[in-house]
Amino acid sequence: MSRISDLTCLLIMCLFLLPKMAAGSENVYEKSDTLQLGGVSVYGKSKTQRVREGVYTVNAVSVSPSVNKLTTLNDIVDRSAGVRVRRQGGVGSDYDLSINGLSGNSIRYFLDGVPLDVKGSDVNLDNIPLNTVERVELYKGVIPAHLGSDALGGAVNIVTKRRRRSFIDASYGTGSFHTHTADLTGQFFLGKSKIAVRPTFGLNYSKNDYKMRNVEVWDEETERYILTDRNRFHDSYLSLIGQIEAGVNDVSWADAFFVSGSFSKIDKQLQTGAMQNKVYGNAMRHSRAWSVAARYSRQWGPVGTRVMLSHTHDRSETVDTAFRKYSWDGTWLPATGNEINNKARSIRIYERPLTVLNAGADYALASGHTLAFNYMLNRRGNKRSDETDKTFEPSNDVLTKHIVALTYSQSFFQERLQNSFFVKNYINSASIRQKDNFTVTGADKISADATKLYWGGGLGTRYTVVNPLSVKASFEHSVRLPLSRELLGNGTTVYPNLTLSPEESNNVNVGFFGTWRTGTDHLFSYEADGYLRFVDNYIRARVSEREGMMQYFNEPAIHIKGVDLELRYSWRNSLTVELNGTYCDARNRKKFKSDGNPSATYNNKVPNRPWLYANAGVTYRFRDITNLSDRLSIGASYRYIHWYYLNWEAYGALSSKARIPSQNIVDLSVTYSWMEERYNISLTCDNLFDRLAYDNYMLQKPGRAIYAKLRLYLE
Amino acid sequence: MKKFRFLYLPLLALMTAFSFASCSDDNKNDIPDDPTLIEDYHFDLWVALDRHGGMARDVQTLVRSLGSLDADQPEINFEGKGTEVNAILSLETIYKGAYYYQVPVSGDRFAKYRIENNRIITVAERRFKTNTFSTRKYTHAWIDDNTLVIMAASGDAKSIIWTKLNAEDMSIIDEGTLDIAMPEGGEMFTTSGILNYRKQDNKLFYFYYAKSGGKRGKRVIPMTTAVINPATMTVESNKPCFLDCEMVGTAYGELLQTTTLITDNGDLYIACVTDDSDGKEHSHLLRIPAGSTDFEEGYDGCTISGKLISLLYIGGKEALAYARDDEMGTSIDDFSHYYTVLDLNAKTSSRVMFEGKPLDYSGGRFSSRMAYVNHKAYIGVDAKDTNPQIYIYDVATKTTIKGASMASGYYFEQIRVVEDVKQ
Repeated sequence: MSRISDLTCLLIMCLFLLPKMAAGSENVYEKSDTLQLGGVSVYGKSKTQRVREGVYTVNAVSVSPSVNKLTTLNDIVDRSAGVRVRRQGGVGSDYDLSINGLSGNSIRYFLDGVPLDVKGSDVNLDNIPLNTVERVELYKGVIPAHLGSDALGGAVNIVTKRRRRSFIDASYGTGSFHTHTADLTGQFFLGKSKIAVRPTFGLNYSKNDYKMRNVEVWDEETERYILTDRNRFHDSYLSLIGQIEAGVNDVSWADAFFVSGSFSKIDKQLQTGAMQNKVYGNAMRHSRAWSVAARYSRQWGPVGTRVMLSHTHDRSETVDTAFRKYSWDGTWLPATGNEINNKARSIRIYERPLTVLNAGADYALASGHTLAFNYMLNRRGNKRSDETDKTFEPSNDVLTKHIVALTYSQSFFQERLQNSFFVKNYINSASIRQKDNFTVTGADKISADATKLYWGGGLGTRYTVVNPLSVKASFEHSVRLPLSRELLGNGTTVYPNLTLSPEESNNVNVGFFGTWRTGTDHLFSYEADGYLRFVDNYIRARVSEREGMMQYFNEPAIHIKGVDLELRYSWRNSLTVELNGTYCDARNRKKFKSDGNPSATYNNKVPNRPWLYANAGVTYRFRDITNLSDRLSIGASYRYIHWYYLNWEAYGALSSKARIPSQNIVDLSVTYSWMEERYNISLTCDNLFDRLAYDNYMLQKPGRAIYAKLRLYLE
Repeated sequence: MKKFRFLYLPLLALMTAFSFASCSDDNKNDIPDDPTLIEDYHFDLWVALDRHGGMARDVQTLVRSLGSLDADQPEINFEGKGTEVNAILSLETIYKGAYYYQVPVSGDRFAKYRIENNRIITVAERRFKTNTFSTRKYTHAWIDDNTLVIMAASGDAKSIIWTKLNAEDMSIIDEGTLDIAMPEGGEMFTTSGILNYRKQDNKLFYFYYAKSGGKRGKRVIPMTTAVINPATMTVESNKPCFLDCEMVGTAYGELLQTTTLITDNGDLYIACVTDDSDGKEHSHLLRIPAGSTDFEEGYDGCTISGKLISLLYIGGKEALAYARDDEMGTSIDDFSHYYTVLDLNAKTSSRVMFEGKPLDYSGGRFSSRMAYVNHKAYIGVDAKDTNPQIYIYDVATKTTIKGASMASGYYFEQIRVVEDVKQ
């Protein structure tokens, strides 16, 4: 904790010193002259808007409205249509993001088009410094080939801010449950050279000591278990992320050339297993990752080229050495085994080195016609060992993926009609050496070395009928190779399943969207998307209540259909109202099991997944309240998630069935910015009415929480 | 005579009424004077949805309470029926009379449950005191109707711990560590071992072995029998078996499958297995005769090929066995399991027959699919290309009839006879 205090002090000092530093940089770079035209309004499309209007079905979420709040990328995308983030607890807890009904691991994550994994396997939407991000692109079902991945249900591409000026952006936030965050990012140029240096630093800490309601505690007096409220007591989370990137833009030999080094360190106490009745009080998880990367891009006449190479050393350690059985009151009894899986004392180490090579070229065949090639190599090692458990059998597995993609894009009628066609080839090579616990992992049923080849492809089209009405459609036959977490487990709460097959899916999207502007005051936009997913070997996480563990399994055939609706209204750029809703119906469509008998769950709704949810948000901005070029935003948001069953819906009496209850959550926020957003302060209240909320069965999320954040931005 | 006629008429009416009652529920009242008969009972049918369970397989388990498993019952299915138990109960459980007893999924207590009206009702529970046990990983014995002993290897498996419970309220009567030293060369004891109580001479028999460390640790001694005084829990004798064997099940005691039995006269039998020089596992059924605490050398009641999986004592020196024919496959889902009746004295076995042919091979290994009540055994068969089927084996006539059938997609996990709770 003293470490946190030191870092917090350092950040606060930075906040005071940075204005002086930034003032210096202002002297170096003169601002352009500006011309003010009274009474003329120029409307242009933001990058976010342009991405939305592409051929693919994509939500592009701008981060700038939220950057002053103490929040995370996960919370931001969770308010987007068709997207659900299911959390297991508070800050830093495991989460599962789904897009149009396909689960988190069917979704691939990218940072500027590069797999996010290169930053370390525990770097995620929760701990990426918010002020580095410009927008988040959420691709639904059909994934552009340039992302070069085997995503099945969608992709999340985090696009960072790329500025050509020096700047510093620093923030510090604090709030309930001993939460502290500090982010620092910036850019400066070495002397008068074109060499840009971009440091980034992010800290997240929370004790996550929120109240757990109605948990069982043994009462010695009455000699029975009673239901009571207790604070979480072993759930602190610390993440430190640092990166420095240096390079040049616009030189004769490169449009961009940057090298970077990054480091991440995540320390996490574990409070529960896959259900809250498995209470831990000692188990910890530590992860460290170092990575180096280089990227280069250049336009050679009609040919644009880019290449990125990175190597990551990724190490995680799960410490589970206490033979203790904890209770929610913090007391414990000696136990027959360790906390997580009731086995021998263990310091389990996973070393997962990752090498990624991404190379691509675009060739402009003619005006409006482009051919693009992309190659992605992804080699992930999985070396397991244990420092204390002599019974553990070390192993060293390797998963290698080669993904080649070719895309042909065309546009006609001044871009009113756009088409894109692509084909992808996947080669998956696995070298599995682990043999232990084979009845659970299936290690005895697989070939130790196997290479398989798969094909995918698709197309997308968009036609603008009139400005307020565009239609788009896309299709992809996609393949998703199992993630290392799914195949090889996480060393703690997820068992390996070495028999997992790749998911394959035919994804169809059809949608229409448009924007109306009436006069200068009213802006109305809408989007409606329908989608179908025909998935084979759908990879689904099952919670074993008996074991308190999770494991991923293939569901032979899952069909998903659904709709997303989104409405936005804006008045004078002051009032913004947003509404979205999602209905998603996923069913098992495998009629017969492998033994030839009919499947009991045929045509049943796939359990343990939200299928009806909605978000609403309203924000009002007051401008120039004082003479400080200031702005005050007051916003409220509401989230509804309909209840759902943990297990197959049709079986068992409804009265006995476990279910995840509905959620009705209201959040509030107030943000005040002055000096043209140089200084910003915000207050947020999450879960205003302190509702008990679950995303996962028997895993309570935090109640009401209040946060404050101070942000300084200097150009 | 008129007086007698006055008595006759109601008596006749009463007898007629009884005879009708017998017809409707004849398996409950066929031998009313037999003290071993249970009058008010039902079956709890535990099934896994869409795949065989067991060995920590993650399946959805459902339990339905059924008054009868006879053929005249409608096809059993679980659509909108039955109790979902996974979040609270482990499949591996102790049961006696009207209740289930176990270390539940929470893994922090001893608890007593019953399943009623599609709900799990907690009757009593008690937090662990000093000795703690894991869900599924312990062995048990009933010293009397109200005293339950459970036993398991400690966390590091260097010692054997025991706890004696009052089954009425699950209070801890006593607990301790068994006075058994780790044998030379051994690093850990078997996870739970097998415990049984023989009332004829008031002794607990605990079967265990020690092994070298590691997941693939090798057994370093033959199966060993500790004879324990149930009052003091002192070890009276501790002797290795004459045969270099181990118990058929070592991890879950007899929480799911029964591998020991004690006959009416006090002979104790245990199913064991040896790894022979031919590289195959061979099953054995060894006997500790009544009055003795040592195995009877030269006796082996197992004459089947393949592996003995579980046993059910059906009286008259006979046991019904669920066994695996290794030639037909050894995996859980293989249709290689069959039912056979072992004659413990004659050391013979005969497949359970139906309509002149052996019952079909069944899939599913880790299950307890034999229940015995009122001289009838109810057995579950998951045969290939057909719905799961219950057969009823009549011990007296040695005949088998079809019982209720179950809709496809469900797999037998347990068939339990549960006494009705007297209100």
